Formats: sequence, structure tokens, C-alpha cells
Amino acid sequence: MTSSDKRTTHFGYQDVPVEEKAARVADVFHSVAARYDVMNDLMSFGIHRLWKRLTIERAGVRPGHSVLDIAGGTGDLTAKFSRLVGPRGRVVLADINESMLRVGRDKLLDRGVGGNVEYVQANAETLPFPDNTFDCITIAFGLRNVTDKDAALRSMARVLKPGGRLLVLEFSKPGNPLLNRAYDDYSFHLLPRMGQLVAGDADSYRYLAESIRMHPDQETLKGMMQAAGLERVEYTNLTGGIVALHRGIKL
Amino acid sequence: MALTPTLLLGGLERGLNALLARDPAAPGRLARLAGQRILLRLERPALTLAMAFHPQGIDLLRPDDEPETAFDAVVEADAETLGELLGGAPLERLMFQGKLAVRGRIHLLEATRDLLMDLDLDWEGELARWLGDVPAHSLAEGVRHLGRWGLRTRQELCADVAEYVFEEARLLPGRHQFEGLRDHLTELEVATDRLEARLARLRRRLERGGDA
Repeated sequence: MTSSDKRTTHFGYQDVPVEEKAARVADVFHSVAARYDVMNDLMSFGIHRLWKRLTIERAGVRPGHSVLDIAGGTGDLTAKFSRLVGPRGRVVLADINESMLRVGRDKLLDRGVGGNVEYVQANAETLPFPDNTFDCITIAFGLRNVTDKDAALRSMARVLKPGGRLLVLEFSKPGNPLLNRAYDDYSFHLLPRMGQLVAGDADSYRYLAESIRMHPDQETLKGMMQAAGLERVEYTNLTGGIVALHRGIKL
Repeated sequence: MALTPTLLLGGLERGLNALLARDPAAPGRLARLAGQRILLRLERPALTLAMAFHPQGIDLLRPDDEPETAFDAVVEADAETLGELLGGAPLERLMFQGKLAVRGRIHLLEATRDLLMDLDLDWEGELARWLGDVPAHSLAEGVRHLGRWGLRTRQELCADVAEYVFEEARLLPGRHQFEGLRDHLTELEVATDRLEARLARLRRRLERGGDA
């Protein structure tokens, strides 16, 4: 065995070879794409809309800006950004997963969002854009699924314009032990059952719960963003720290 | 909690846009405003709000350390002035009184006021879509009747309470009695002043007599 064969990463609670993670994550999202929005509303009791709204407020996007929405999935953030940047600006919806991108594009076109929106199938670790391209980059509930998070953050920092902002909205660690316990019960027992009932796929939702636990906590992610070259990194805990919104600026 | 204002603002935005969608005059006005942004700064309660217009409605956001130059107009007022403004008070008067400060494109504020104040909702038509013409009309007539009844009842209640308090129970004096009492009190006040002055004169005389 060569040394590269031994390199593994986590896929939920399992260890899988590094090369395999992207394909496995892709399978999860191919499986859930069609019911993604319904499940989001069900799982978060609709609160994910508020988390995303706060992300948009903190993005400070204005007419004429270029925005990159990585792992934009079904286009919730893109729809609002498209309105805020206006006809002079542009929004790029990027996702590594073809199924999610297709669902997102269909949904946005059906809602009459177009003209200033582009769709790109891209890996966050190696973004196919020139340096200093975007005024704002958001990645909402996507960083967790990226194999090499440090490489992804570096790649985002590279394509961000000086003065631009990176916003990472991601599940995190609740501070309160009681909340943590209730949250564990909910995500390991109730969530896979809901996934089975609504999307017909318990395994994907079990992966979701496991991958959240394996994701770095607030302070670790802040350190990773600083290491990627972002400055003034700060985070806001939302809903008791179940989700955290990190923001860094490229200076 | 960080999410409460976001929730309130989200609800307000949704409600406002739902109302604008029902107004036949709104699309034309919104099309003229689309792409413009107003920063609204309230002093009491301290609140900063960014309004971004788009062809389907308004986005309400809490701006995050954005420079004023990023907006087309900046409006500073307190809640009371904002109420007056929405109540139809002329913009110029409020500005000259120093209650309202507007920088940038002032006409944007007027256009926004027109958009929000001239909302003409055909709510009976909207009901008719759900219930059918005849039931919707009956319901609307019922609501209008109830409104008139409520107004009349309120006026009658006020008159009855006033009559009981002033005339029957005599808990409070009537206006005439009150004015009579005030006149008597004024008379008493003047008489007391006069007496005081007289006493002061007597005291001065006694002091002079003592010295001599």
C-alpha cells in the first residue's frame, strides 16, 4: 500500500478514503434533491429561512455587486441576492452536485429569477474563477460536506475581492448541555425517521446528523478562516449555537 | 436573541409585499422605484432599516455597517415624525421644523409614501375569488354594517358615560360649574393678595411707629 492509499477522511462517523468522500456526498444529495426544500422546512421547523435571512443581512450586498453562492443548492439565497444586486450585478450559483443545481435552476426560473444569475457546477476546493472576482461569497450548509475544508476556504479567499466578505452558515455546537442533549436525541432518532417518511431515505439524514457532529466547532472554524487569510473573522450563534454564522473579510 | 428582529422584519416584509401585490397601482410605482435603496434611521426607538425596491415589492433589511453613500436617500426621523409623515403631513413642513432630515434623492421618500399610503386594496374582490361573488358581497356588507354599528355604539357609549358621570352620579363637575368655581377661586386669590398687601402696609407702619 502506498501512503496515499492510507489517507482517509470522515463521512459522517465512518472513515472513508479521501477520494471517495465527494462521490458519497454526491450520492446523498442525488437522493434528497427532489425533496430538499420540504425536508429543510420540516427538519428546522422553518427556522432555516431566518438563518438565511440573517446571512443576507450580514452580506451587505448592494446593486452592482458580484456574489458567489457556493453549495447554493436549491437557490434560496441566490433568489434574494439576484434582486439585491439588480441588473448591473451578477450572482453565480455554484454547486458540486448536478441534481441539486438542476433543481435550483428550475426553481429559480419558475419564480422568474434570471438575467443576472449564472449556474456553475464547481468544486469549492478549486473554484474555477480568476482571483479577486467577487464582492461577497456565501456558503450555507455546504462546508461540512467538502472533503478538504482548508483548501476550500483558501480557494474562496482567493476569488474574493479585497474588501469582500465570506459568510459561512453552518451547523455548529450548542453551548447549553441541556439543549445539546435534546438536539442529539432529535437528530439521531427523529431525523432519520422523518427522512424515511418524507424523502424515503433514512441513511442520507443519518449522514446529515453525523456530519454535523464531525464539523469543527465555532472557534475551530474561526481559526481555519483566519488561517485561510481572512481578517476580522467573527461569528454569531443562532438558535443556541445549533447553527453559527461566520463572517470574514479579505483585506 | 439575534433572530427576533429578523423574524419581525421578515413578517413585515411579507405582509407589505402581499398588500402591494393586491394593489392595482403598485406595479407601475414599483417599476419606477426598482433598484433604489433608502436608509431609514429612527432615533427613538433606535432602529436602522434599509428598504430596497424591486419590481415585485420591497426588501426590508437591517443594514450592516454599510456607508451612507451606498444608499440613494438617507432619512433620519423619530417615530412620532414618521407617524406624521405617513399621516400625510407635508414633507417640507417637517423638514423646515427640523424634525426630519433627508439626504440624497428627496423625491424617493415622497414616492415611497405614495406607494404605501395610496394602497387601494380590493379586498372584496379578493374574497370573491375564494368564496364566490354573492357570499363575498354579503360578507362585505356584513362587515361594513358591523363597522357602522361599532362607530355608532362607541359614540353612544361615550355620550351615556358622560351623562352618568356629570349629571346623574355627579362624580365630576360640568363645564359651567367648573368655570364658576374657577371664577370664584380667582376672586379669592385676588382678595387674598389684597389682604396680604394691606397687612404688609400695616406692619411697615407699626415698625415706623416703634422706631419713632
